[in-house]
Amino acid sequence: MTPVHFAFSSAFILGLTGLAFHRTHLLSALLCLEGMMLSLFIALSLWTLQLDSTNFSAAPMLLLAFSACEASAGLALLVATARTHGTDRLQSLNLLQC
Amino acid sequence: MTYIMSLFLLGLVLGLVAVASNPSPYFAALGLVVVAGMGCGVLVSYGGPFLSLVLFLIYLGGMLVVFAYSAALAAEPYPETWGSRPVAGYMAMYVAGVVLISSKFWEGWHEFSWVPGDELGEFSVFRGDIGGVALMYSAGGGMLVISAWVLLLTLFVVLELTRGLGRGTLRAV
Repeated sequence: MTPVHFAFSSAFILGLTGLAFHRTHLLSALLCLEGMMLSLFIALSLWTLQLDSTNFSAAPMLLLAFSACEASAGLALLVATARTHGTDRLQSLNLLQC
Repeated sequence: MTYIMSLFLLGLVLGLVAVASNPSPYFAALGLVVVAGMGCGVLVSYGGPFLSLVLFLIYLGGMLVVFAYSAALAAEPYPETWGSRPVAGYMAMYVAGVVLISSKFWEGWHEFSWVPGDELGEFSVFRGDIGGVALMYSAGGGMLVISAWVLLLTLFVVLELTRGLGRGTLRAV
């Protein structure tokens, strides 16, 4: 595995770990999700550039567009949570209790 | 060139370690800015200036600005930075994990595996990714229409989620 591939692969896995094990704020989880999307953008762009398949350059752009949609939906959920529960801490989302 | 590339890649991984180690969201957004900057440097080194500029403009200038002022919703009196006890522990764990897994690949990383081999003979403003993105308007026009429609749909999703005034989506019963 070349260093660049290892770099964005480990960036993706680190973002996934941060998303799975976040503990306090909902916004921290959304930021880890954004980090994962960033590593995917870099991965698709490097696929385009390393393999000289420049027709594929539209794919990172479309990924960015859909990632913007997902980020805005996540932030709208964050705002709705902060509006009804008073804070975005995950301890306050306790309606379904084990 | 190898040194710059290894700095960019190191900054990428360490920046995402700083985001994933659960600091206060202010510092996590700062770490994400660093990751995006380093990622832009990597893309430029590989010959993709347009994609790098798009990343800066749309991601940093559009999305992360929105995250930055949404971080005001996560305000707390004692924000946890990267030096506080639990965050530093998670950072050390993630860095140790990355070093451990990369130690399996170290033998194959000679000097020339860090940098790309580019074939362009002279300086040119027009690189491959610029021409490739232009395809989004010609052959990929259907996907352009679909993504514009999805963006419009997302606008209505956001407006519906943040309706508030007793008829919002999330209710604390």
